Amino acid sequence: MSDLVLRNIGKTYANGYQAIPSIDLTIEEGEFIVLVGPSGCGKSTLLRMVAGLESISQGDLLIKGIQVNNKEPAERDIAMVFQNYALYPHMSVYDNMAYGLKNRGEPKSEIETKVNAVAQMLGLEELLTRKPRQLSGGQRQRVAMGRAMVRDPKVFLFDEPLSNLDAKLRVQMRVEIRELQRKLGTTTLYVTHDQVEAMTLADRLVVLNKGHAEQVGTPMALYDRPASTFVAQFIGSPSMNLIPCTVEDGVLQLGADCQLASPQFSTDKIMWGIRPEHVDIVPLQDADLNLQVKAVEALGAETLIHGSVKADRDKQYPFVVRLSGNHAPDIGQLIGLKVPQHAWHVFDAETTKRIEAL
Amino acid sequence: MSVYFPQKFLPYLLLLPQLAVTAIFFLWPAGQAVEQAFYQEDAFGLSRDFVGLDNFTELFTSPEYFASLKTTMVFSFSVAFLGLAVALWLAVMADRVIRGAMVYQTLLIWPYAVAPALAGVLWWILFDPSMGPVALLLESIGIDWNHFINGDQAMILVVISATWKQISYNFLFFLAGLQAIPRSLIEAAAIDGAGPTKRFWDIVFPLLSPTTFFLLVVNLVYAFFETFGVIDATTQGGPGQSTTTMVYKVFNDGFVGLDLGSSAAQSVVLMVIVGLMTVVQFRYIERKVQY
Amino acid sequence: MIENRPWLTGFSHLILVLGVLVVALPVWVAIVASTHPANAFGVGHIPMWFGDQAFANWHQMLIGKEGQASHMLRMTLNSLIMALGITFGKIAISLLSAYAIVFFRFPFRGLAFWVIFFTLMLPVEVRIVPTYEVIANLNLLNSYTGLTLPLIASATATFLFRQCFMSIPGELVEAARIDGAGPIRFFFDILLPMSRTNIAALFVILFIYGWNQYLWPLIVTTDDAYYTLVMSVKRMLSVPDGDIEWNKVMVSTLLAMIPPVLVVIGMQKLFVKGLVDAEK
Repeated sequence: MSDLVLRNIGKTYANGYQAIPSIDLTIEEGEFIVLVGPSGCGKSTLLRMVAGLESISQGDLLIKGIQVNNKEPAERDIAMVFQNYALYPHMSVYDNMAYGLKNRGEPKSEIETKVNAVAQMLGLEELLTRKPRQLSGGQRQRVAMGRAMVRDPKVFLFDEPLSNLDAKLRVQMRVEIRELQRKLGTTTLYVTHDQVEAMTLADRLVVLNKGHAEQVGTPMALYDRPASTFVAQFIGSPSMNLIPCTVEDGVLQLGADCQLASPQFSTDKIMWGIRPEHVDIVPLQDADLNLQVKAVEALGAETLIHGSVKADRDKQYPFVVRLSGNHAPDIGQLIGLKVPQHAWHVFDAETTKRIEAL
Repeated sequence: MSVYFPQKFLPYLLLLPQLAVTAIFFLWPAGQAVEQAFYQEDAFGLSRDFVGLDNFTELFTSPEYFASLKTTMVFSFSVAFLGLAVALWLAVMADRVIRGAMVYQTLLIWPYAVAPALAGVLWWILFDPSMGPVALLLESIGIDWNHFINGDQAMILVVISATWKQISYNFLFFLAGLQAIPRSLIEAAAIDGAGPTKRFWDIVFPLLSPTTFFLLVVNLVYAFFETFGVIDATTQGGPGQSTTTMVYKVFNDGFVGLDLGSSAAQSVVLMVIVGLMTVVQFRYIERKVQY
Repeated sequence: MIENRPWLTGFSHLILVLGVLVVALPVWVAIVASTHPANAFGVGHIPMWFGDQAFANWHQMLIGKEGQASHMLRMTLNSLIMALGITFGKIAISLLSAYAIVFFRFPFRGLAFWVIFFTLMLPVEVRIVPTYEVIANLNLLNSYTGLTLPLIASATATFLFRQCFMSIPGELVEAARIDGAGPIRFFFDILLPMSRTNIAALFVILFIYGWNQYLWPLIVTTDDAYYTLVMSVKRMLSVPDGDIEWNKVMVSTLLAMIPPVLVVIGMQKLFVKGLVDAEK
């Protein structure tokens, strides 16, 4: 049975602003779903609607087949981990985790067993008597997760839980969250604006843009076949190179000076795209495109070359190439690029939707 | 805060005690005062006549009322200026010494806790014309001190008593303000060749101006309303009318003179003044607090 | 210190010590005066050093002469009841109203806010006569209710708690809701414990405010069973000029100022916090 169903869910504020027009989503038991998008795309609003912290203006929200639109958050059998952890500052770690169970009226001994079990799983046994302010950022994060876990909820909700941690800890906690979720098998809805986090955690990703679900699918599906220019640019880092151009009679025309052989598409005005990592460097005479180097970022294992492709006398497009290993082209130098056709992504310039060769 | 509880009825229940007290002891009397201001009552409270704006016209043509307005101004600005100047000086000195600033703070803040009336009594004994040590000292240098017959001296006495109490408050805020000025700014000015005095007037004083302005408003409000006890315990508005402030006059005309109509009219005038002051104050606050 | 100028530091200390001494001078005179017999005060003379009547004066004032019990203890108790009544009353109703204004959205919320704000504009001194009449009409003269109740509406305390509540992150409220805490439980389990320091700081300020009330008790009490310490000093001074018993006046004055001064010095940190928070 599907665990969590969003049917035609929408949110319109009292002032008439439509934050989310309509979203449909069916989540299977144990799935890890990541809602990703830029700030203001409605991802947090959607999560809070599931939590019951924000009212639902239209549609149905079903948890285990039961409509919960108008239920209090505490009655929905969900648990949430907040961006700032939202630990009660005056309560010990133990009390923070036990508070929800106490309010449910569970017997003391049972609460103790549950809290201790979770504390052990998270390595928090030593910290149970401490106050939140005596904990490090990572420990607070763990307590916040512990508080969610002791409730043994049907659904976990995470609202950008890692954004307050430093880069190293973020990677570590990311791995830990994934492991825990697998072990517990609890359905999870996770909000982030960080596409790396989204790609590494998700069973399925939902890319949101202005309250619309642009695309839903596995990380690899979104990477390989982004459904729109928005998804194409959002997924992958550095993001995909996109250049507006026309296709006529089997010729892809970036500009007067820059043409490539191309299959035909249903429209002639397109956005042509290729990921930085799918471009090869070749001698200038064999090149499809010439890149004038503007900046080089050597990261050791790989090198990012930022430059511009000259399409016309007065038309230039920024372009990024990602190469493995170490390369050191001079600034201002022209280098030749090979752009294999199988790595192209083509979008309708008007609708921005993906289109395939005819 | 953008998170609210959904209950509809509970908030009214929570507000009820506060609103009830406000309505019964603030709004009702305020309304009474406004109504009363349009009536003339005889001294025994047996009858009253509607007199329209007579109480107000009488008030605004009465030299005594303007005298009390002038007294209020002289008193309030003297207290505010003296209190700010002394407190700022002490605070600058305390900020300068590295050790002991907190000890001095403790030794200087306690007068805040003394009731205004008691402050008046304490300074009265120092200035008592027949035995007060300060009065005797003044006499020995040729100043004949008797605040019971000399109106200016009575004013000086109440100003000193009221200021004494307020120095602690001003000192605390000035010291906090001074300590909040980044050290690096002072150091930069020192490197630019400014000596301690120049640094104070060019850097420190301008940076303190929000604190100074805030304290000026607070001190004026204090001198206006909270110094009733000082005046009542020492001079009782006299000699003559020389220390009768507007607030003291409301009380005096109402309870001693039993001229309820005039007292009520004065209350209304004061409410308007306080209203204006509060709006000014709130404007200033608003920049910090948004509603 | 930017420059090392020892004389400047010395000068600063000198000024501060002078300031402390001038500020303390009246209290010194008061303490000394309270240790002398009544006849020590005459024309051209006031004692500047301790006398030997300290015990006798204090004893007489606190306990009373033979056959004539003292009112001082009763007045101390009255002062305490009034101060604590005002303090707890203000804190309680302000906590509730600030809670309603910050954590709920309801019609007329703005109006309620302005009505409370309006009380800021009306210090009791300004509307003293009509307020007295209201109390008289309600038969509250010479009662503890009459002494405290009219003074417990407080815009300042409401604003302070409002500020304090608004700084509580919304996520905490949401976490509590998910944990199954309704508004009442949230208030007692989360909000009150989190506001402890603010409440304590406000307590110090309000206690001083309540204890030092002067005009109000002066006019609503005519029965000496309800007199408070601060106002009693004034009554002792309302005698013909030469008859003021300065030694006793000073004992009363000191007694009336000791409790709030001790509170300020003993809880200096909270006091400073209270003042700074309540500034607005």
